[in-house]
Amino acid sequence: MLRYTLKRLLIAFITLWIIISITFLLMISVPGSPFNTDKTSNETVQANLEAHYNLDEPYFIQYVLYLKSIATFDFGPSIKQPNQTVNDLLGRGFPISFELGMITIVVAVISGITLGIFSALKHNGIIDYLAMGFAVLGISIPNFILATLLIQKLAVDYSIFPVATWASPSHMVLPVLALATGPMAIIARLTRSTMLEVLTQDYIKMARAKGLSPWKITIKHALRNALMPVVTIMGTLLAAILTGTFVIEQIFAIPGMGKYFVESINQRDYPVIMGTTVFYSAFLILMLFLVDIVYGLLDPRIKLHKKGGK
Amino acid sequence: MKKFLLLLLSMVIAVVLVACTTGEEAGTETEESDSTNEGTEEGTEGSTEKQSDAAGEKVLYLNNGIGIEPTSFDPSIGFDQASWEPLNNLMEGLTRLDQDSEAGPGVAEKWDVSEDGLTYTFHLREDAKWSNGDPVVAEDFVFAWKHMLDPNTASSAAFLAYFIKGAEEYNSGDGSADEVGVTAVDEKTLEVVLAQPTGFFLDVLTNPAFFPINHKVAEENPDWHAEADTFVGNGPFILESWDHDVEMIFAKNPEYWDADAVKLDKVHFSMINDTNTQYQMFESGDLDVAVIPPEMSDQLIDGENVFIGPYGGLEFYRFNTTMEPFQNKKIRQAFAYAINREDIAEFVVKNGVEPAYGFISPGFTTPTGEDFRDVNGDLVSFDPDLAKQLLQEGMEEEGYDELPPITLTYSTGDLNKAVAETLQDMFIQNLDVEVTLENQEWSVFADAQQNLELQFSRSSFINDYNDPVNFLESFVTDSYMNRTGFSSEEYDELITNGKTETDEEARWEYLSEAEKMLADEMIAIPIRYYNTVVLEADGVSGILRHPVGYFDLKYADKE
Repeated sequence: MLRYTLKRLLIAFITLWIIISITFLLMISVPGSPFNTDKTSNETVQANLEAHYNLDEPYFIQYVLYLKSIATFDFGPSIKQPNQTVNDLLGRGFPISFELGMITIVVAVISGITLGIFSALKHNGIIDYLAMGFAVLGISIPNFILATLLIQKLAVDYSIFPVATWASPSHMVLPVLALATGPMAIIARLTRSTMLEVLTQDYIKMARAKGLSPWKITIKHALRNALMPVVTIMGTLLAAILTGTFVIEQIFAIPGMGKYFVESINQRDYPVIMGTTVFYSAFLILMLFLVDIVYGLLDPRIKLHKKGGK
Repeated sequence: MKKFLLLLLSMVIAVVLVACTTGEEAGTETEESDSTNEGTEEGTEGSTEKQSDAAGEKVLYLNNGIGIEPTSFDPSIGFDQASWEPLNNLMEGLTRLDQDSEAGPGVAEKWDVSEDGLTYTFHLREDAKWSNGDPVVAEDFVFAWKHMLDPNTASSAAFLAYFIKGAEEYNSGDGSADEVGVTAVDEKTLEVVLAQPTGFFLDVLTNPAFFPINHKVAEENPDWHAEADTFVGNGPFILESWDHDVEMIFAKNPEYWDADAVKLDKVHFSMINDTNTQYQMFESGDLDVAVIPPEMSDQLIDGENVFIGPYGGLEFYRFNTTMEPFQNKKIRQAFAYAINREDIAEFVVKNGVEPAYGFISPGFTTPTGEDFRDVNGDLVSFDPDLAKQLLQEGMEEEGYDELPPITLTYSTGDLNKAVAETLQDMFIQNLDVEVTLENQEWSVFADAQQNLELQFSRSSFINDYNDPVNFLESFVTDSYMNRTGFSSEEYDELITNGKTETDEEARWEYLSEAEKMLADEMIAIPIRYYNTVVLEADGVSGILRHPVGYFDLKYADKE
């Protein structure tokens, strides 16, 4: 296990380095500058700005400076918010995105799996149709439309929940609902289809023949196997949701880190682009690693150390 | 099998615990930041207006511009609306725009101007104080302006100070700080020597870039402006708390020299960067001021609580005079006369904007008290017949049988696209010319336009100070803002005179000539003027929104 972890760690570093290098290449190849403005400016001002942020250095030097800043976990100040370092921005935004993401994941996983199980058990019954109809809606309605709809109905028209911002538990209800519906629908459909497959397996029939209670069969024997595909998508889902979602955070004015991914690129805020990319990549790698470990726990047939470092 | 159940259970517990701990952390963070600013709202939880109103306080709830975090409250750095709108209420320069949007006394009580128009002597108010109790002294201005001009500060606003002697040299690294023409004669007297006579200098000084910096505070802590507890201002309000990316709370500044005029007790600046959400918050009463979402313009624009005011700025299209066929003046003019600006303003841009038949927006008053726009009149019109004729003549001059292909480029955006498509349509109908549309991501577009790679492209201009020369100067030879390849000695001379002529009436005459010449050469096509449109809740009054400058809450009130 230790050897496997070390191996994965080494690969993770190489992956990160490749990601950083590609990001750097992309950054310098895209035209535009962080100092482009529709306000008045002149050559002297632009030159001073470039010198201030070392953007007048040759690309190689800039690359080395980036690597250095990443190695020391100090990405320096944001160009667009010069009083804030990238670490400040991430340190402030990530806990909020993480909080929203975690609640969303818990809601999505619990309700998604529950829906999936019931649909599978009542296959082609009314519950199945209702649940799957709901799931289709959940997948096909974009979350930003759902968000606006929820705000208009539940916040503006009926004043049950606040419109936006991130302050109290009641502020969390609408964004969590808007964000969780999509993943929940995906999880419900996945669970249902694999459950249906598993339920026709011989060992389930065997368990039935042994006279085990349906409840026990479902939870102990069927669900465990049916969860594999759900766990597979959890890695990417976790990384995507926990590091913040631009649209939902924007609509609900949640000060998470989702916006930095998008805005830093539009604004050519190079230190923030690097910071968010490295952070997201590292987080994704960690999540995929955790998923692999969970595989082994769920299915003893998967032996990590044998196929380690694949 | 039980192992699995245990595992599942522990996973769920772990997840819940993690979620809870982050919740707690987030909670303590806000508590800490609040306790450092004694007496603010009780935590962020439920900090809605009900609480504050109960205390009988006047609290105004705003969104910070388009709802974003200020770039910086260092007056030299925050060169944008999101920074300077709030800063304009936290600080005050030598002059301040008054209720008629003219430069009136601010920290400076009175001033003397030398006969040659080069030396300004400002007398600072005895009772002008910083929010920490220090007096505002002349040295604070010297410090702030030299900080702005220091090349190492890399201030985007530094060019605004080039009117001062030695400023451009220092900023470009050729001169030194000592040679900049600003000196503290004594504690309350500031002398400024200009490079050339500048008739609108007092107006330039209202710009937040020229705000003073408490030099004692800044020398001790260069990052004084980054957080609420170290921020020291001299304006009508103090920065009580600043939860980055979430909210700023301003409170009335008791140390302000004119504190009696300030009616509001507190102002909340939210950062809701979504037009629909901020409108929905306005609807639900969480915000007192909001902007109109574009898609609701038709429904809301004629409403009672809508404020519509002029805003010094122009949307226009630039020709690249170094590319065919726009080296030809008549062809450029033909395109200008083929546009129905009335329709664009009314049906495409909407929101009550005015079509532009000149370059300088209404609202600039000449020394004789008239509006510059009225004096110069309409310099272009919608005239399809004239357009066709001009195109014909232009093509003959150039010996074209058919026009070279034309591409019209704009930066990606819904409104830009709508306007560009309308123009395309108008050129087909009125000129029989088919232009190709192309859109580029904003920063890519800005680079291409700067490098003269675009043939015919969209532009916008927002005034930095209250004088027509601000815009007109863009088109002098080799200006960074030129972006058209246009170069004319005659025009350059008009602008030099329009900046430095000491006789104000003559100076405005030069500017008037310059605008006419620009329209005749038609190196850029004016489309429409900008305006300010906001929704204000019932009972909100007295917010000053200047055509040029940043909004002022000094006299604002809420019933």
